[in-house]
Amino acid sequence: MTVRVHLSSNLRGPTDGIADIKGSGTTVGALIDDLDHQYPGLGDTLRSGVSVVIDGLLIAHPQYHQLNDGVQVFFVPQSAGG
Amino acid sequence: MSRVHVTCTINGDPVEFLCDGGQTLLDALRDEVGLTGAKEGCGTGDCGTCSVVMDGRLLCSCLVLAAEAEGSIVSTVEGMADGDDLHPLQQCFLEGAALQCGICTPGFLIAAKALLDRNPDPTETEVRYGLAGNLCRCTGYDKIVRSVMDAAKKINAGTGDHH
Amino acid sequence: MTITEPKPSYKYVGTRLVRPDGLEKVTGRARFAADLNIAGQLHAVVVRSPHAHARIVSIDTSAAEAMPGVKSVITGDDFPAVDSSHRQYDMCVNVIARDKVFYEGHAVAAVAAATLKQAQAAAAAVKVDYEVLPAVLTIDEALADNAPVLHSHMLTRGAEPPAEAASNVAAVTRFSGGNIEAGFAEADIVIEREFSTKPVHQGYIEPHACVADTGQDGYATIWCSSQGHFNVRSSTATLLGWETTRIKVMPAEIGGGFGGKTTIYLEPLAVALSSQAGRPVKMVMTRSEVFRATGPSPSTKIRVKLGAKKDGTLIAGDAYLVYSNGAYAGAGGMLGAMTVFESYNIANFGVEALDVVMNTARSAAYRAPAAPLTAFATETVLDEIAEKLGIEAMELRLKNAVTEGDLSTMGFPLARIGFVECLEAIRSHPHFNAPLAPNQGRGLAAGYWFNIGESSSATVNLNEDGTATVVTGSPDIGGSRASMALMAAEELGIDPHDIRPVVGDTEAVGFTDVTEGSRATFATGMAVVQACRNMVVELRGRAAKMMEVEVDDINWVDGHAVYVGNGDSASGSSGDSAAKESLSLAAIARKAKRTGGPLTATGSLEAHGAGPAFAVHLCDVEVDPGTGVVRIVRYTAAQDAGTAIHPSYVEGQIQGGVAQGVGWALNEEYIYAPDGVMENPGFLDYRVPVASDLPMIDAVIVEVPNPAHPYGVRGVGEAGIVPPIPAVANAIHSATGCRIRDLPMSPVRVLEAITAGGASANGS
Repeated sequence: MTVRVHLSSNLRGPTDGIADIKGSGTTVGALIDDLDHQYPGLGDTLRSGVSVVIDGLLIAHPQYHQLNDGVQVFFVPQSAGG
Repeated sequence: MSRVHVTCTINGDPVEFLCDGGQTLLDALRDEVGLTGAKEGCGTGDCGTCSVVMDGRLLCSCLVLAAEAEGSIVSTVEGMADGDDLHPLQQCFLEGAALQCGICTPGFLIAAKALLDRNPDPTETEVRYGLAGNLCRCTGYDKIVRSVMDAAKKINAGTGDHH
Repeated sequence: MTITEPKPSYKYVGTRLVRPDGLEKVTGRARFAADLNIAGQLHAVVVRSPHAHARIVSIDTSAAEAMPGVKSVITGDDFPAVDSSHRQYDMCVNVIARDKVFYEGHAVAAVAAATLKQAQAAAAAVKVDYEVLPAVLTIDEALADNAPVLHSHMLTRGAEPPAEAASNVAAVTRFSGGNIEAGFAEADIVIEREFSTKPVHQGYIEPHACVADTGQDGYATIWCSSQGHFNVRSSTATLLGWETTRIKVMPAEIGGGFGGKTTIYLEPLAVALSSQAGRPVKMVMTRSEVFRATGPSPSTKIRVKLGAKKDGTLIAGDAYLVYSNGAYAGAGGMLGAMTVFESYNIANFGVEALDVVMNTARSAAYRAPAAPLTAFATETVLDEIAEKLGIEAMELRLKNAVTEGDLSTMGFPLARIGFVECLEAIRSHPHFNAPLAPNQGRGLAAGYWFNIGESSSATVNLNEDGTATVVTGSPDIGGSRASMALMAAEELGIDPHDIRPVVGDTEAVGFTDVTEGSRATFATGMAVVQACRNMVVELRGRAAKMMEVEVDDINWVDGHAVYVGNGDSASGSSGDSAAKESLSLAAIARKAKRTGGPLTATGSLEAHGAGPAFAVHLCDVEVDPGTGVVRIVRYTAAQDAGTAIHPSYVEGQIQGGVAQGVGWALNEEYIYAPDGVMENPGFLDYRVPVASDLPMIDAVIVEVPNPAHPYGVRGVGEAGIVPPIPAVANAIHSATGCRIRDLPMSPVRVLEAITAGGASANGS
């Protein structure tokens, strides 16, 4: 399925600054593979130190997270804490 | 170097122990006597975590030589409760959530008891200055100060009569 | 005072249970790491570098080894080599230096002997030959063109074009949105200011300590205090090159951490010494070692520029952040970039953040790491905009505050958050309009923190007497056991006093990440709820057996299995007819042997949906115009807790954060001599707030439930330290007319500003 993707502004090197793109995959991992085909190098950018927000939920390790139709996937830098 | 023999009273019990001449009272309590309620937070008398009362005086046991305790009467946190009956300060600290990590708690309880023994009805300011030798990094002191004042009220009302 | 949205009514959640671990702590019986002693143990001390930057030419341990009582001496050579590409390289070479030392206090060797005195004497006899190198001690020095480069492998991450030469810049992070030039062009007012801050220490009262015992079989047990014993296990194994399962870590009570005990320092040394000596080894840091060699916060230089319309609408923001993380790469700048504009809607913005290294102790997380410093900058500039536009500071914030659906700096729409509710809680508080006395001033500031989820596990065991043991893997740093008991009580329907919450060792409970990011009550609480719900499924099944009815006809109500069927299926059976209506948890637990065996359930999860926390603080100060001494006279702090599981410990987290923030604002700083030696490594010269420095701190709990948590919990541990620095700074301005933008706002600095007639220390 095709989902909408938003990249936080620090992750847009491989897309030449484009924020909103589309990709397909049944999981976030598969989606990243697809995005990497479209924008070479984006896979490496998104595979480490990056979380996603889907339906308002922050997910820190999203590789196998299932994607449903119509969702928008926001890629954001991983946060930390004390 | 030969060890120093010390005889003293700790929490009402006669105690004998051997210590090095340079050993602090704190280390002797913890390592020779087995009372680990007093903690070492700094070793320089700046944090109050090792507070004990010796011969009626509140002091940092990290600044006293163990040999100086010869013949003295020492009170530590382990002696505050009367069997299962907690001291009103201990009870108020529990009910008032006056501890978070709890590392400073023994020192605060000892210092607070020394304060109330000297000044049974302190104002908030007197409590704050009375406890200014004890560091707490968790609570912001709010609940500690309230709990000490609550304990004072309890003791003065006779509802928490103790010792 | 609590502001509560309509929420389900709970029986136990939200009550003020006496903490289950409290009795041990008020009687002096609680065991912290340094309280543990094992028969036959040796005492070990660390040999530390006297230089801020030096190459280790050689280490001669022969004299030390020959000294009385000495059983083992180790250096970096006793650990497997580690490549700079290794994920935990920094941690590894920070624990024990290899070819270079990067700060005064860096560990270079360790010695174990029969007594502490013998170990100290032998440590002094370890001969280290250093080739002293020029030290980099400030951010400006680190960024200078001809700066000595600390790490020859450090190529700036995120640099465009990619970095080709090594530098002291570990990473650069950029965020942007809208059109920043157009935004500033549209602004009616633009204010740009610079800020500087020093490293400060978490200041936990318990120094790092551990006991390690390596057995003949090569398996080691570590007793230590930490914010995460599973992390101690994996990090120690990494350093030693061991399989993780060779190490078991027993969590001691932890005497404060605030982020500083999320990493390790002593444990691998203790295990290595114990392995060599064949004896248990105890290590306890001195306070001086804690200051010199464990995690201070980063130091910073920050420039923030904000543009607003006449009506107060923020329209453009630009920030340049430099965070020094000490000797190794860190994430201060990155986290600063993620927080600097996160609280407000600013359509056009740009942020550039550098993470740099220099020859000071490796920084560690400190409560909402990075955020108090970006808040200092943003909230101070906002205050100035409000002043210049003649708009109330509160109104300016309300006008621009983010709410649900607004976009984060990172581009995603925010879920339900409670920022506006916190602002309104402060606005409606009696403090807000209370009169001020001469020389007093009032400051308002807000703060934001992400909060995180991560992995947690819990096991619930029902005991034959009807009580429950709840085992989690989260070290309890501020009362989380009480929260676990309350949530389990609510789920199981039994009195929280009948629940014993314990922190299990690395072999007693499933993997659990570090207690950090305000995650324990949120994420581990979710694991506890999951375990309890699994337990209730099991209990219903057992009850169905006992009543001889279908499980679907059993509901779990208030600690009882209640039969809700029509009775047909049970008619004519040989079951205990008296028990058909309802069976208590205790009754089911008593018969567990006959209904299928012990009652145990687990919950393990990676927690999604950590809810951001917002805090809004109001601070009154009185400034002595003759001395520059600032006294905090009144303080009110509102924070969105989502749901306060245990209100007393939520208040405690808020109050503690305020006290640390006030110390950071007014007193605390690392002072270095020109050669990089820390000059104030003790509580006498590094002054943390004491009881007489503070007033009561009125904690206002705002409850806007986090939709992702079964009870609506947001983390509460960190957000409270974010607003105090700007709240104090804005209050000092209100009292004196002076804007101070360099920390700490010490009497000398305040007096200088007053004397200069309202000008800031760096000009305004």
